[in-house]
Amino acid sequence: MSYFRAVDPFPLESPEQTRLAAFYAGLADGRLTTTRCTGCDRTAWPPRLFCPECGADGVEWVDLPREGTVHGFTVQETGLPAGFPAPRVFAIVTVGGHRIFTVLLDADPARVAVGQPVRFVPLAIDPDSKGNPRWLPAFTPSA
Amino acid sequence: MRKVALVGAGVSKFGVRKASYRDLIWEAGKACFDAVPGVKPRDVEGLVVGSVMPERTAFQSHISSLAAEALGIRPGALSARTEHMCASGTVGIRYAYAFIAAGLADLVMVLGVEKLNQPSGDEAILNMGTGVDREWEAAFGLTAPPCFALAAQRHMAEYGTTEEQLALVGVKNHTHASKNPNAHFGKGATLDQVLCSRMISTPLRLFMCSPITDGAAAVVLASEDRARDLTDRPVWIRGTGQALDGFQLTSLHEDYAHWPALRRAAGAAYRMAGVTAADVDVAEVHDCFAIAELIAYEELGFCAKGEAGPFVAAGRSDYGGDVVVNPRGGLIGCGHPLGATGVAQAAEIFVQLRNEAGARQVPDAALGLTHNNSGMGEHVVMLYGREAA
Ligand SMILES: [Zn+2]
Repeated sequence: MSYFRAVDPFPLESPEQTRLAAFYAGLADGRLTTTRCTGCDRTAWPPRLFCPECGADGVEWVDLPREGTVHGFTVQETGLPAGFPAPRVFAIVTVGGHRIFTVLLDADPARVAVGQPVRFVPLAIDPDSKGNPRWLPAFTPSA
Repeated sequence: MRKVALVGAGVSKFGVRKASYRDLIWEAGKACFDAVPGVKPRDVEGLVVGSVMPERTAFQSHISSLAAEALGIRPGALSARTEHMCASGTVGIRYAYAFIAAGLADLVMVLGVEKLNQPSGDEAILNMGTGVDREWEAAFGLTAPPCFALAAQRHMAEYGTTEEQLALVGVKNHTHASKNPNAHFGKGATLDQVLCSRMISTPLRLFMCSPITDGAAAVVLASEDRARDLTDRPVWIRGTGQALDGFQLTSLHEDYAHWPALRRAAGAAYRMAGVTAADVDVAEVHDCFAIAELIAYEELGFCAKGEAGPFVAAGRSDYGGDVVVNPRGGLIGCGHPLGATGVAQAAEIFVQLRNEAGARQVPDAALGLTHNNSGMGEHVVMLYGREAA
């Protein structure tokens, strides 16, 4: 694994490494957040540093709902990158009017369906090279 | 703008090659120079090299200069590398075209090269994650197959496209590849073989997917005067278009069976050439996965939206049909050495329009199209025409 860490496929999430660190700090707290433009009130997904719609330079962090529905999905059975176990359910979920790309955890691949309700769960991943914990926004079937 | 033509083309053998990154450059460059005897390496004024991930696979940057030195080219007008994921090769051809059309060069080589099967199979797949958004997509383990699988799921749900229709793209392209000595695969495939091959990402099975391939391809572009000096059968660039809808999956059209960027790119190319889809005799389309070829039929205008499944099933994209799609075997049969693919597509159209394609010749091919994409949200289309008789 130390060899593959040369290709660390995960985001750098700490405040020293990214200006989106607040998003990742939210995941660690069990919150799904994103940015809202203070100029035009549009909410973005994923979060971003400035609004390309109106060009205003201010954004603020807001919470997204924890519940969503499956917009589309596929089950990858083979050919996954090194370090990612199969089968893996990749999905686009609709949350608060945004489409979010994610993986469905603890989902029976045979029972996933478009329109299925899902809820947000933070997914712990490998720490970075300095030992900082890291998280990704994952989802799981609600029922 | 000045007219620009292809005057030479060559490809390496594609496959899991016992050959280095530089070996592949040598093979394609030599084959290309052999095809245009009037051009010596020192005559070439510019070189553009399409290559996606040599930093990861060959541990090498500064690619265009490396290739120029390997081939004996000393660029005086243009030297550049294009990295644009799977469309890198065609993006390189567009740069060379623009330079020549603008009068900044008269003779430019475009070479595409990729050595993907290195340093290991596991890592080759991991490397593919660099082509999607690392922070919001690749971190979850995403590579290309699930992206296109989402499109396939949607196309099946919306239009009734079947697994068998997807499989027929694999059958056609593996069969075409069996007539191409440079293809990755040479044995063809039956419908049963495709439908029984292992599942990659539902509903896409192995033989509906392009493999991880090493290979290179090269073409030489010339201004009108130089082209007429070099050959009596130049292949003219008639039109070109490129369009981007979005990079991340969640930025694309919410219905993944619709690829508006391809429609825009094709429209620009058709308008520039003054032709329509019905005029195209032979097309090299980006069948990285079978669903991509089906959606390309629709967005390129070969058939109506939603009718690609019946179109392939009726043989309308094969020899004897409306348009022959992927005569060299496509990405599924020929392989997909990323940066080389777009250049290899152009090389195939070059031999087809010169009636030099041998066992896979499309009869009387006069207008050829190439379609190269970088994910579902970005597309590049070129139109090529032979000299009027
Ligand atoms: Zn705004």
